[in-house]
Amino acid sequence: MTTFWDIVHLLTATPIIFVAIMGLTWGILGGALPGISASITMALVLPFTYTMDPAMAIALLACVYIGAEYGGSIPAILIRTPGTNSSAATVIDGYELNRQGRAGEALGISLMSGVIGSLFGLAMLALLTEPLSWLALAFTPPSYFGLGILGLSVIASMTGGSLVKGLAAAVIGLMISTVGTDPISGVTRYTFDIPDLLNGVEPVLVMVGLFALTELMSQSGSTAVLALKDSVRIRLPNLAMMNRLKRSQTIGCILGLFEGLTPGGGGSIAAFMSYNEARRWSKTPEKFGKGSEEGVAAPEAANNTVASTALIPLLSFGIPSSNSTAVLLGGLLMHGLLPGPRLFEQNPQVIDSLYVGSFIAIIAQIGVGVVLLPAAVWLVNRPRPYRAGFIFALILSGIYTLNMATFDLGLALALGVVGYLMRIAGFPFLPMILGVVLGHMVESSYRRSLVLSGGDMMVFLQDPICVGLLLAAAGFVIFSLSRELRDARKAKLQEALG
Amino acid sequence: MNKDSLSGLVLLALAGGYYWATGFIADSTLEDEVGAVGLPHALTLALVLLGLILLVRGLLAARAAAAHAATGPGAARVEDEERDARVPRALGFLAIGAAYVVLLPYLGYLVSVALLIGAVSLFEGAPRRWTVPLTAIGGALLYWAVFVKLLGVNQPAGLLFQGWLS
Repeated sequence: MTTFWDIVHLLTATPIIFVAIMGLTWGILGGALPGISASITMALVLPFTYTMDPAMAIALLACVYIGAEYGGSIPAILIRTPGTNSSAATVIDGYELNRQGRAGEALGISLMSGVIGSLFGLAMLALLTEPLSWLALAFTPPSYFGLGILGLSVIASMTGGSLVKGLAAAVIGLMISTVGTDPISGVTRYTFDIPDLLNGVEPVLVMVGLFALTELMSQSGSTAVLALKDSVRIRLPNLAMMNRLKRSQTIGCILGLFEGLTPGGGGSIAAFMSYNEARRWSKTPEKFGKGSEEGVAAPEAANNTVASTALIPLLSFGIPSSNSTAVLLGGLLMHGLLPGPRLFEQNPQVIDSLYVGSFIAIIAQIGVGVVLLPAAVWLVNRPRPYRAGFIFALILSGIYTLNMATFDLGLALALGVVGYLMRIAGFPFLPMILGVVLGHMVESSYRRSLVLSGGDMMVFLQDPICVGLLLAAAGFVIFSLSRELRDARKAKLQEALG
Repeated sequence: MNKDSLSGLVLLALAGGYYWATGFIADSTLEDEVGAVGLPHALTLALVLLGLILLVRGLLAARAAAAHAATGPGAARVEDEERDARVPRALGFLAIGAAYVVLLPYLGYLVSVALLIGAVSLFEGAPRRWTVPLTAIGGALLYWAVFVKLLGVNQPAGLLFQGWLS
């Protein structure tokens, strides 16, 4: 149990305030760059956290996530280009307000709604995570196997329209996870006598390669010219306006909580659902799409809520439900931290830092968001060629930091090529990341269970938690599959109708 | 050949390569019932199945597309062509990264990063003016100061400049 004095100690004896502000700043700037999503912003900074104290590293990543969610709304409002996927819904009314000369107001509403959503999300995170994580204390090796399968079942909802491609990506991720030393017998697999592969392929390399390098390669040669007005200044909403926005913000918070807890939910779904619901419950639904303040408040409250609530399944059970939480899981694993009750028991400072750092970042967002807007505008307006050079250098510098090995640089570049080819062929990335991250747990718990039971497969059906988790995974896959089939049938019907 | 058929073939080739490499996994006296090759064999089988499904789906889609052959290139086709045209640029980007990896141990971080920023900027279309080397050197100094000096993150000093750039 965290006491008041633990928090005082954290604030006075650690650089948590500096870390939170730095993470927030980086997040806002990264999120503001079109094409650089929240997960890429986090992946870029991930290697540099390797040498940091684990508690500070995790707090930094969480603060980057918070900052990126707000940063994404800046180009969404100013140039109709969402900086992150989850700010796509903000474009609709944010850009309309900009066209009406009310860009500063839209940015202010986005900022304040984001702060409210983040605070609500953080409160839910603090309230729900630890009790849920205690469930995991009853976990046996078969239960962990069931949990790994449940985590992998998220893939079914993350396939981007093709379940076969999503599953193939997951299998490739699982194949990557088999590289290195076998968890039970200790023999080496697929190392080809390369010492750098003895410990396997680090998930962080896969994340940086797939997210960041693939994005840079895809953007290469792009001639898109973006230009933000230098003169924009944020205008924070007054109390009367905040009062008018409370309904849409509440809708955003509730749907953000629901979507954050749902595997495969994510900020973009929550934002669009909130936008629709806010319009349905609004007193002025006719303003939506024509510059409605509520149309900015609802999606921004929702995606910022998700930035915190998506951490609940991650910290409780180790299930990442989005790209960004997968990167955060990569950060935890990189520091040898396993999500679940033992994380709360053995590393309470990591959880405290995460909560306190996030709180500082959310509150500081009001000031930093205002101060940093000109810097974000300046950065977005830099010529793209120079920006690409600087980002590429940053990525390669970070990768080297992991193991001080040039081999990692080559491996990340190769993974970038894999990601680029996957993107061309329409394969989603998240299933592959999940395969890499969860592969080790699934294999080792499966084999340990069989060793303990003397090879009796019934061990998986005798463990009630394992049965429950496997049934949940099966239900999730069946639901996603039926949805995909229904969507495909609908698309075919529409095509036939002309 | 459409994307799905090609993807199916690539997956089958990948499964074949993975299965071949599985043959090099040594036996162990600590072997359990599943063994070190248990999961790899299951994954190979899964990838073969998925590859075949994609291949068949792609071939069926190609046949259907041929039956409804359009008179001109559709929007998706134009999009594909535009993306294909950018593949050489992506490869060029990759080549610059590969050159950085090769040069890093010899030239060290500071010089390599300067070359990297300059090369990428020029490759991405920066005008050939004095601003390119200036930005590259400035950027490299900034990264070196922040990461090596301020954050204490080790980066290679390089064989050529060892001793005075680390």
